[in-house]
Order: sequence, then C-alpha cells, then structure tokens
Amino acid sequence: MSNVFETRSDAFARAVQPNVRAESVDHAVSVLAQAPEARVLAGGQSLAPMLALRLARPEVLVDVNRLPLTGIAADSGSDSGDGGGEVHLGALTRHRFLALDPVVAREAPLLAAAARHVGDAAIRNRGTLGGSLAHADPAAELPAALVASGGRVILTSQRGTRELAAADLFEGFFVTGLAPDELLTGVVVPRTGEGTGVAFEEWAPRAADFPWAGIAVTLQIDTHGTCTAVGAAACGVASVPVDLAPSLTAAGVLGAVLDDDALWPSIATHVEAACAGDDDRAELAGLLAARAVRRAWMGAMRMAAAA
Amino acid sequence: VIGARTERKEDARFLVGRGQYLADHAVPGLLHVAILRSSAAHAEIRAVDTRSAAAVPGVIGVFTQTDLAAAGARRMGHLLELPGIQPLEWSVLATDRVRFVGEPIAAVVASTRAIAEDAVDLIDVDFVPLPAVIGTEAALAPDAALLYPEWGTNEFLHLDAASPGLADAIAGAPHVLHERYESHRIMGLPLEGHGAQARFDSALGELTMLASTQQPHQLRTVVAEVCGMTEASVRVIAPDTGGGFGNKQHFLREECLVAMLARITGAPVQWSEDRAEALTASVHSRPQVHEVTAAYDDDGRLLALDVAVTSDVGNPVLYFSGIGPSLVTVGALCGAYAVPEHGWTLSCVATNTCPVGAYRGFGQPQAHLTIERVMDRIAQALNIDPVEVRRRNLLPDSPRPYVAHGGARIDVGALEPHLDQLLGEFGYDEWRSRQTAARAAGRFVGVGLSVLVQGSAPTQYGVAGRFGSWEVAAVSVLPDGSVTVEVGTKSQGQGHETTLAQVAADVLGIDAARVTVRDGDTAALPYGMGSWGSRTAVMAGGAVVHAARELRAKIDVIGAHMGGTPDFSTVAAEAWWHAHRLPEGVAPGLTATVVYSPGRTIPVPNDDGHTNFDETFGAHMTAVAVEVDPVTGAVQVLDAVMVADSGTVINPAVVEGQHHGGFAQGVGNVFHEEVRYSDDGQPLCSTLVDYTIPGARESVTLRVIHRQTPSDITGGFRGAGEAAITAAPAVLASAVEDALAPLGVRIQSTRLHAHELRRLIRETGWRVDAVAFARVDA
Repeated sequence: MSNVFETRSDAFARAVQPNVRAESVDHAVSVLAQAPEARVLAGGQSLAPMLALRLARPEVLVDVNRLPLTGIAADSGSDSGDGGGEVHLGALTRHRFLALDPVVAREAPLLAAAARHVGDAAIRNRGTLGGSLAHADPAAELPAALVASGGRVILTSQRGTRELAAADLFEGFFVTGLAPDELLTGVVVPRTGEGTGVAFEEWAPRAADFPWAGIAVTLQIDTHGTCTAVGAAACGVASVPVDLAPSLTAAGVLGAVLDDDALWPSIATHVEAACAGDDDRAELAGLLAARAVRRAWMGAMRMAAAA
Repeated sequence: VIGARTERKEDARFLVGRGQYLADHAVPGLLHVAILRSSAAHAEIRAVDTRSAAAVPGVIGVFTQTDLAAAGARRMGHLLELPGIQPLEWSVLATDRVRFVGEPIAAVVASTRAIAEDAVDLIDVDFVPLPAVIGTEAALAPDAALLYPEWGTNEFLHLDAASPGLADAIAGAPHVLHERYESHRIMGLPLEGHGAQARFDSALGELTMLASTQQPHQLRTVVAEVCGMTEASVRVIAPDTGGGFGNKQHFLREECLVAMLARITGAPVQWSEDRAEALTASVHSRPQVHEVTAAYDDDGRLLALDVAVTSDVGNPVLYFSGIGPSLVTVGALCGAYAVPEHGWTLSCVATNTCPVGAYRGFGQPQAHLTIERVMDRIAQALNIDPVEVRRRNLLPDSPRPYVAHGGARIDVGALEPHLDQLLGEFGYDEWRSRQTAARAAGRFVGVGLSVLVQGSAPTQYGVAGRFGSWEVAAVSVLPDGSVTVEVGTKSQGQGHETTLAQVAADVLGIDAARVTVRDGDTAALPYGMGSWGSRTAVMAGGAVVHAARELRAKIDVIGAHMGGTPDFSTVAAEAWWHAHRLPEGVAPGLTATVVYSPGRTIPVPNDDGHTNFDETFGAHMTAVAVEVDPVTGAVQVLDAVMVADSGTVINPAVVEGQHHGGFAQGVGNVFHEEVRYSDDGQPLCSTLVDYTIPGARESVTLRVIHRQTPSDITGGFRGAGEAAITAAPAVLASAVEDALAPLGVRIQSTRLHAHELRRLIRETGWRVDAVAFARVDA
C-alpha cells in the first residue's frame, strides 16, 4: 500500500514544484523567460525559510549554485589613473568570501566591512552577494553598502545584458528593478583610491539579527586630511537603503577636516531627519552615522600616515 | 564517585550528532500527520469541509473529532482538584468552537509531511468570528466576551489565603508600599519540539508510542484514558530528548491524536511539531501581574506581605494548565524571608491565547521577582544597603525545618553565612566602589542581588495533576558484574546517564563506567514520575541509592559466604550462576526494584491546615553587576556569581551546566524574548525571527561556587535545575534598576529588552551626547 502512495506522491511533488538546477547562465535565463513566477535560489538564507513557511510558493525554483558566478577581480580602469578602475564580483560571492577576500579588503573594503555584520557564520557561509541584493531586504547590510559605494549590478536575460545603478535597483520593501526574466549575475563597485576610509556601524539586539539601524560610509581625504568625497547609506530605517550623501554634505562633512566635535551632533541631526521609521531607529541611525564618519576618517588618516 | 567531575557519558553521542531523537526513528510505511489549526482567535465553527483535502494524491485520510469520537476517543481534562474551579473538559480536536489561534481542528494523514501540509491548505472551515479576549484586563471587563459562556465569567479559578493578623499588621505599620509587578509571556523552547509516533498492533491489541516527553509513564496513562485502553496495553518510549523545560511536562492533544490515528489507520503514524506550531500552539508561560502591598518597620523588616496575583492562563485546555505554576507562585511569595503576616489572592483568567503552562521555574520566577523587588524598594525608601535589608529579613538559622506560612517545611542550611560567602565571592564592596567611579564618569553600572530558597522534588497530587512524590528505580548487577539502572525519570539532556551511574557506583563501590542507566521506556518499570521540578537527583537519586544499598548488602552476604575477598564480578557470577551455593535464605540473582519517597510532602491540608509541596529545598544566592548603554538600552553583564547550595553534589560539572543553561535562558527571558499577540489575538511570534532567543554571543558567564549543605533525606541531595532561571529575572531587574538609579528609572516588570529600557530612559528626559557616542573607540 505504502509503495503505491509513495509513487503517486512523488509524481505529485514533481508536478507542483519542479526544481531546476541551472547548468549555465543561458539555461537559467531561459527558464526565467518561460516561467515568470520562478524564483532564483542562491544561498537560500532568505528564500528557504520563506519556502518552509509557505510564504513563497514559486511555480519554479531555479537553483543557480552551480553557475560560474564567483570570481572577484579588479581592473585598472580606462584612465588607469589613481582611484580609477572597478572591482567585479560574481553574484554568487558568499558573504564569507566578501569578508575575507584580500582583493575586496584592498579595493572594496566597505563591502567587506558590511559582510562581516551579516547574520552569523553559518549564514555568511551560504548567503550570496547577488542573493542579498536581489532579495532587497531593507534591513540588510549589503544593499546599503552598495548604495554608499556607488556600485551597480549586472542583469542578464535572454534579451541581453544591462546594468542598473544601486540607487535605481532598490524600489521598495523586497522590490527591485529586476525584470521577472532577469538574473542578477554580477556586481561592480569603484575601486577605492588613496586616502579612502570606510566604516560600517550597526546595532542589533542580538549579534546575528538584522540591525535596527546600520550605516555604511566611505570617504576620501586629501593630504591635509580634508574630506573630498563621501558616500553613505543607511539600512533598517526605510523601505529601501537611504542614500545619506546629501545629509552628510549638508552636515558639513565635505571640505572639512573631520576632527571637529561640532560635526557629530550635526551629522546625527541631519541623518536622523533623513531616516523614516520609528524614532528609535532614526535616532540610532543618526548617532551611528556620526560614529561611522569619524571612524572612516580615522581609518583614512591612518592609511595616509602609513603611506 | 559521588562528587566527581566525571565527563558526561551521553555527550559522546550527542556532540557528534548521533543522538536518536523522535524523528530519527523512521519505520517502513510511516505516515505523517499535519494539523489544520485555527486561524481565528475566537470563533464558532459552522462547518469543516475536508473533501478537497481528502482528494489530494498521497492523502490517506482527513480526520475531525467526529471521526475520533466514532473510533472511541474520550475527552481530556486538566486533572485539577481545586475548590471553585470552573468545569472544563475538551476533545482531542476542536468541534464547535475555537479559542486560540493554533487550536487543532482537523488532521491530515498522508504519505509525506509535505503532502499532508498541502492538503491541510485545502480544508475549508466556516468560522463565525467572536470577539477575541486578549489580556486579563480585557478578559475581566464587565462586557468581555466569554470563552466559556457557561462559566458566566472568564475567571477559571479564584483562591485566597491570609494569616489572621494580616490586615491589622498593614494598618498599623509605619511604612507600606504598593507596587505592581508584571512578568511577561515567554515560553520554554526545546530545540526538539513535541512529537509522537504510534503504531497499533491489532493482533496483540497493543499501542506503542514514541514520544518526546518528560513523563512517559504519565503520558501512557493519559493515552490509555483517551483511547479507552488499559495502561498495560499501552507502551510509551521516550527516546533521546532534545530539551523539555516543562513544555514537555504537558500531555498534548496532539499526542492523543497520533494514538487515535494509529488505531484508526492501522499504520504507523507520526506527528513532529514544527517551529511555528511550537511557538503558537504548544505551551506558553509566566504571564502574571502582582499587586503588592508590603508593610515594614523603620529598620526595613517586613511586617506583612499581601499579594494579589492575576494569572493569564490562556485557553486553559491543558493538563494542569497555568494553574499548576500559579499555585507554586502563591506558595513562594515570601521567598527566603521571614514574613510575620502574609496573604494572597490568586485569580486565574482564561484568554484567547495559547494555553499557558510549565516552563523551568514553574511559577517561582514571578514570586521571586516580587519579593526581591520589595527588598530593593525597602532599601531605597529607607536608604539602607539592599544587602542589609535582605540580611535583616532572612529566615532565621533555626529551627529546621522552618515552617512557613501555609506549612512549607523549609530545610535549607544557614542563610546568613551563605549571603556573606556570596558577597565575598562577588566582591560586593569592590563593585560598589567601581559603581561610584563609573557614575562619576557618566556611566550606568549597577549591582543586583537574589536570595533564593527554592522547593525541589514537589508534589501537587490531589491538587493539580498527577504529581506523586515518589520515584521508581530498578538496579541489577548482571552476571559479568556490569550494572543496569532503570529509572522512572526521563533525561532531556541533563546528564542522568552520568549522574545516576555515579550514584549507583558510589553505593556499590565500583567504577561508574560499569553502570548503564536507562530511562524513558514504560515497559521497563511499572511507573515513574518523569523529570521536572528539580526532582531527578533527589528522587531518582534517592531511589537508586536504596536499590543499590539493597544489592550491596546482598553482595556482602554472598561475598562473606564465599570467603576470602572475592571481587565484585565474581560475587555477581556467584549470585546468578551458582544459586545452589548461596547462603541459606538468599535468593538467586542481584536485582532490586524500589519505590522511594522521602515522605516529607503534605499535598492536601493536614489537621493544622498545612500543606508542604516540596520534599526538600535548595538555597541559591546570586549577585550580578551590569552596565546599561543608555543609547541603545542594551545591558552588558559585567559579572555574575552564584553561590549554590543544592546539598550533596553528584557531579559539579553537571550542576554547573544546569546553572549555566538556566541563566542563559533567564537572560533570554528578560533581555530578548516575549510572546506577543495582536489585539485581535493573532500571534506575532510564529518564527524565531520574531521570538528572539539568545544565541551563544548573547550568553553570559555565570560563575558557580558550590556550597554543600546536605539535606537529611537519602543522599543529602537538593534540587538545582531551576535555580538560575528563577534567580535571573529578579537579579537582573535589581541590577538594571540600580544602574539606572541616577535617572530614577524604576523596573516593575521582567521586560528588560533594549527597546523597553531605551523607552524608560528617554522618559526621564535623558538625551544622548552625540559627541561622546561618536568618539567611543572600539
């Protein structure tokens, strides 16, 4: 009796939830083109719990874990000048690699700093950069780091390949600019130039939790210690990562030597005002932004002193 | 051997993933159960349509209470025997009405769990919504909807007691404080959820059930009752168990459901609770509000304590329900202190939430919070050191036992030297100095104290449930000199295979490695009480001592008869294989089964009106130092020390593990966890993203110093397992309040979550110094 049922049930299971293991990017995007309700399974650290809870019920699951999307490489850029060039990261780069890879540490240190705050070690071992960006959890660290870095993503479909700036990628709670037939295949961020410092600050009730508020900052100083460029974003405080560059500019960060204690309350106030959500999160975001800017600047100064 | 820091025998399999838990026991043809649960907090059920679900390929059947009743299922009860309690019985599956989100309505049996869950989605229930009653205030409001209209109220039970001079003592006291303390709703969360697998052998007429339970024999009794079988025809086996914490002290409707489905289908059937079911539909714990009136004199000595306890018991369709723990609460309100006049009222209130029941600590953390808050309040009001206030109120060192209000026989050692040892180990004066320096620097450092006297090995037999204060052990020396110990307790990870082997080996005079301890199989012993209530060392330990002593005496007789100094295994072989040479009157073999009771408890009032629910008491005193980050509200525990007196310690490492684990849970209970509902009764914590338990990085090191005052019952043992989780809320509340004293923050609940402390701090007008925050160096 039980054999009969097992056979029927297996067939039933296949009929309702086929799981496609993509053998190539072409294969993956061809499935996505045919099945608009498909979901892409990468590290599975968000999607798998949603499946288990039956919150996501995709018609088709496309497992992309075998695709060759794991490389990390820095190019020198077309102008080959100081600060030029970009870092190319495969979408399947696990958070653990992001946190530990020497090229990322040197050329895209904000991504490394953010990755170290993601979940716990087990999650970092499996979770992927592309997965985190495509999932677009507003509390996640990596989307904010990408916005602060001024990075972009590579989207591939049967229609071709296009790029989308981080600022245009995140449209709302778990909503991105990816079309249903597109696969996020790569991430590009500018190489950090000389005099760059970064910081990622966050606070969460438990170490492995999504943060109440997280702040990603990258800034550049000149030989006098004056801030010449700043990129920053907050997570956990709105439906998308909040670009904080305008707030920091308004707070007087650009053009300043960042050793002035009058700056910190100014940053806190401006960033708090830029963050939605409840008061707790906005206030924390402001404070964390002040701390992050100071740490990023100190890091840049240390680097300059060592150079 | 007793007292040795032996490595835990069971860890060899647990730590390499070779434990065999319920779901590891797959058998050919095993069918799986998924349960349709109520999505409504309070509703009438007009109809349940199972036709689409039954048509899903792979589904064996869809069952409602109608099917179970037709197959002979009987109703379930709470086994509470208390004056004035409202009448309540329930069926295995809900029929005409549901009273909490998660209440089971129908069951699908299918070839896989996934198919069963798919089919559950297709069951259509026609609900007629009723107003949801959430929280005791709403439940007791004059116009509240009633869970059980036949009661005419939502109050399930009301009891009170008072010493004759209570009112006069309060009226005549120089100082009286009125406070309200709340313990919030949390739950025991064993890593392995509930679960049961059953099969019915129609040829033998026997049902065999594997279940993840703390009390296999009592589960057997309940399953037999519900299935209309004899206890002899039901066998329950509890395999390796991944935690219980009281949650698995209850018998669930689901376990009886599995037994009935095995009878109906004739196939092996398994239900294994998933995390959402565990969080929303197993057992919650702790929600109580205490309205406290405490009278004291100019020296800070308590004159009277009167506490009105309101206990939210959820929909109390649970064995002993939230009432069992609530009875313990009202019995423990005076704690470690001599209180001349004492009274309490207890109101247990039904609400449209998951049933409330046991969690490690069992009503004691709430009582302990209240009395320790009162000690701190007196200290603040009179500007006396909180240590001194406690010292002045401690139970006197004689007589023993100290007979408390109501009749509890408290047999702990002298408390004042115990307190002095704690202050020394903790470095109390040094911490006060550090606190002064920290405050001067604008930092919020505080010190908290907990003086806990705690009953162990309890009985509530005749009052609530089937808690007999006895235990069964069978000890056998086999012909090769190896030893088996069978006990009626059930380890859920506490290390009983190690500790009870140490006890047997100690008495028998052999190496503990020769002893194999088994538990959890009702076929091995006629009955057993299971493990809960800090009872296993005291009760199973005592039973093993008595059985082993019986064998030791027989071995000595046989050895003397053999002449010379025959070794242990030679005597063992003699006893079994050479019966013809044994001394006259000595029966062959070496086996003894003992039913042991210390006999100290008085579960129903005696001629003096006294009751005593505990065989013995432990004494545990704890001090902590904390720093509160006023920006985030996060609390860092800087030091935590417990001087633990659980009598004779069988294995210090195991006892320390109990305290470490209990404290980790306590830290989680107050800093991270809360079971929350929306106003309309929807659970807001159905995953571990929402019910935030501490991980390793949130855990706190508790330093444990043993102080052994043997009890005068067999073995000298006292309970240990519930001490740290009971101490934690009180001691952490005490420390956090002390840390925030410069701001005037008062802690009146167990909610010490960062967001809550942050709110309390902001309410004082304190504001963040952004410069200081930005400049903190990591």
